[in-house]
Amino acid sequence: MSPIINGFPRLRGLKMKADPRDVNTGVYYIDGDVAAGQGALAAGCKFIGGYPITPSTEAAEAFARVAPLAGAMFIQMEDELASIASVVGASWAGVKSMTITSGPGYSLMMETIGFGAMLETPFVLLNIQRGGPSTGVPTRTGQADMMQSRWGSHGDYEIIAISPDSPQEMFDYTIKAFNLAERYRCPVMIMSDECVGHMTERVVIPPPDEIEVEPRRFYDGQINEYLPFKPDENLVPRMVKAGDGYKLYITGLIHDERGYPVKNEEYKSIYTKRLVDKIRLNKDKIIEIKEEETDDAEIVVVSYGISSRVAVRGIEKAREKGIKVGSLRLVTVWPFPDKKIAELSKTVKAFVIPEINYGQIAFEVERCSYGEANIVLIPHGGAGVHTPDDIFHAIEYAAKEKKRIEGIIEYKTKLEKLIFEEGFKLYE
Amino acid sequence: MGPLKTIESKEVHPMDNLLRMDRIPHIWCPGCGIGLAVNAFATALEKAKIDLDNVCIVSGIGCTGRVAGYVKLDSFHTTHGRAIAFATGIKLGNPKLKVVVFSGDGDLISIGGNHFIHAARRNIDMLVICVNNFIYAMTGGQVAPTTPLTAYATTSPYGCVEPPFNIPYIADSSGAVYVARWTALHIRRLTNSITEALNKSGFSVVEVISPCAVYYSRINRLGDGLDMMKFYHDNSEIRHWEDTKNLDIGFQTKIIVGKFVDRQRPTYNESYNKWLSEIKGTKDEG
Amino acid sequence: MNPVITAFDKGIEKSGIEPSRVCVASDIPFEPEVVNYLGIDFFHTTRGRSIAFGTGLKLGNPALKVVPFVGDLMTIGGNHFVHAGRRNMGLLVICVNNFVYRKIGGQPTPSVSITFSPYSTFEEPFNIPHLANSCGAAYTARWTALHTDELTNSIAEALGKQGFSVIEILSPGPNYYKGIKEIESNVINFYYENSVIKNGEDPRNVGINPEEKIVVGKFTDKKRPTFIDSYNTQLTKVLGDKFIPYGGKSG
Repeated sequence: MSPIINGFPRLRGLKMKADPRDVNTGVYYIDGDVAAGQGALAAGCKFIGGYPITPSTEAAEAFARVAPLAGAMFIQMEDELASIASVVGASWAGVKSMTITSGPGYSLMMETIGFGAMLETPFVLLNIQRGGPSTGVPTRTGQADMMQSRWGSHGDYEIIAISPDSPQEMFDYTIKAFNLAERYRCPVMIMSDECVGHMTERVVIPPPDEIEVEPRRFYDGQINEYLPFKPDENLVPRMVKAGDGYKLYITGLIHDERGYPVKNEEYKSIYTKRLVDKIRLNKDKIIEIKEEETDDAEIVVVSYGISSRVAVRGIEKAREKGIKVGSLRLVTVWPFPDKKIAELSKTVKAFVIPEINYGQIAFEVERCSYGEANIVLIPHGGAGVHTPDDIFHAIEYAAKEKKRIEGIIEYKTKLEKLIFEEGFKLYE
Repeated sequence: MGPLKTIESKEVHPMDNLLRMDRIPHIWCPGCGIGLAVNAFATALEKAKIDLDNVCIVSGIGCTGRVAGYVKLDSFHTTHGRAIAFATGIKLGNPKLKVVVFSGDGDLISIGGNHFIHAARRNIDMLVICVNNFIYAMTGGQVAPTTPLTAYATTSPYGCVEPPFNIPYIADSSGAVYVARWTALHIRRLTNSITEALNKSGFSVVEVISPCAVYYSRINRLGDGLDMMKFYHDNSEIRHWEDTKNLDIGFQTKIIVGKFVDRQRPTYNESYNKWLSEIKGTKDEG
Repeated sequence: MNPVITAFDKGIEKSGIEPSRVCVASDIPFEPEVVNYLGIDFFHTTRGRSIAFGTGLKLGNPALKVVPFVGDLMTIGGNHFVHAGRRNMGLLVICVNNFVYRKIGGQPTPSVSITFSPYSTFEEPFNIPHLANSCGAAYTARWTALHTDELTNSIAEALGKQGFSVIEILSPGPNYYKGIKEIESNVINFYYENSVIKNGEDPRNVGINPEEKIVVGKFTDKKRPTFIDSYNTQLTKVLGDKFIPYGGKSG
């Protein structure tokens, strides 16, 4: 094969090991937030601009403690708008950068997330979801920002979103998030939640040579031949950083390959299509799901984040009762595994989706099943999680239901039945 | 969790009509100074003899931000940093209302900094009571723009490296017409300041230095709330009309308190009305 | 080429700093030819966030000279301005102030249609050097766009300085980086003729007042530890040898 594609040398298995300075190897008993902070450091993140917001502050604090010992910088900016802007700036200065926030801060950051996506800036955003909307319940969990992570900013763009379900995964997938961000030059959201963030479990941080980090793909050709937005074979342009004499022109306006703003229809289509195709056409390489016993299943439970932890016990109980239930855990929630859902929908009776919201990923499951299976959503208002029994009973119901029902079937949790059917006195 | 119970008390305190007694006990920690600030505010409301139906209180997010929930006026618990923007809307929507913004240093000066300086520049008629405890207490003790240099906080675990803001100086340079600072210890003088400011029209700022027993003083080994009050007693100096440039607060250094600025400037509403009558009276120029 | 860009170009040359080290972050788009001519890196940021973006650039690579060029500085970007000043972040903020008064000194100004300026009506504008100084800026100055020599010197000086520097330039129009139209040319001449140079003046007294002449000059030039210096000093004190000082050459 030719070593040169589109003028750029072919990237040949570009991986490297983590810097020993960045990795605090050992076995720890820490919470998800702190694990994510350690993961960011291990991935080579050198800059975090953050702002305190419950329940994500422990991640920022953990990074603030270890950063000075590894040559990295943590700065607490004056608000979330400044935080995300400084993260995008630091990325263009050549360092891996990240910010940490929760619901209200996430909403504030949306304009700049779109800006980062437009400039194809690699950065990671850790969102520890909490009860919403607005101020909501800061100290309790929720999973209601999932659609916002995909559609939050205006315009067409694509992002990658990962949903870890344990502190160990918070560590491992933060590193993976940085690697994906570098590979695809897009914002990567780690959509965790307060439960996983504040859950304390055993986390093993391996030695540096067992951690794979992807370095930034800097351009290494002639300065005067460089075109900032000329795509590589996987549709991703090579990056450079400020201060190296490239006379960069970087703008949030639609731009051509030189980076100069253009207005015509042709360029708008070319550019926007590439931004979107960059992820869509590479979907199969990005999507990560964990399937169990889906081959002969009649019910499949589709879950992510903390709900998938709860679902484990619910599924076990259902299997003990003889129901053939499989589990599809979404590790990457966006891009959504539409092909897998379409494939499964032909063989299963129903999908059961426990989510701590009133329906978000359930809509995606419904869309991708094309009417071939029932969609049973177990909604939850937040500030708590489902119980395994909720999921078990929903699976039972889904298995018993013989009719093909259109639309989303909401299966009430025990708590919802208590509140809405039996009545619940809020105060006397 | 079962239904919430209200506490029925048999005796009625003379200031009970100013507090939402059905929400007491409040959430503030033992040793916190916010309760003292609320006390001063409630007393001042009575002394100022304003019609309580025309007073609105707007808070942001944070420990001090919870004040709106405990005071029995038209209360607004808004989003983080936007209390002043919200209050501007209330005041311009109904200029007869007296609007009080009661929030903390992080909410007003960090994320709300832009709204603070612009409202001061425009001289919007409102009273801002800023409770400054040098830290972000509600979220667990992170550094604030008012944390003194070298003080510890959870996000500056090796000491704060950024010089803090001097709130009276910012307010003064942005154009506030009344600026005062007291500590939670100077309760009577604080009450008088608030009374004065309530009767003044224009953008007034009263800063209240308050102990935070659970975060700021604990992380920095300064004792508890009472130890902090003793510190204020021994280390604060009253200097009225001092140049606001000289009011910086270092870590465990002297705190200068007093009334620093009291001047007259046309408020936003007054300027607007004057301008409106000018352009209605004259021909349009361009 | 319009005066502000010319002065900026000459200022970079005079300061002796490599143009490739200079980064401009602005919410007003420069023309690509201008960027090429100046030899710098240019980032067209979202409205008002140039200073926050610049903070990220500076902390990501402290060897860069970051220059946020801001037109819409004090409305949407005010918060970032005052906090960057407090931290004494190593940025040179060039504030192109384009407000137009309706009446100055009782005479009607050339009639320019005002589209979106809060300062042209009844609100008092910010005294930017005073605000910058009270937030802790290390260098404050104001010039009109026609004071080319003084402006060049200011820019050269400020580029050589560490810390937060603010240069306010009175000049009309955000489309300014292309060229000057006739009406704008009248206004700019008007500012130049009605200004008086007072170097070293206390920034408190340089508010722009329709009744008086506009005060320009270099107002303050202080030395204060920058953010990175302060960070390194404090952490070296507490952590000793374990601490890896941030960013080689700061400035």
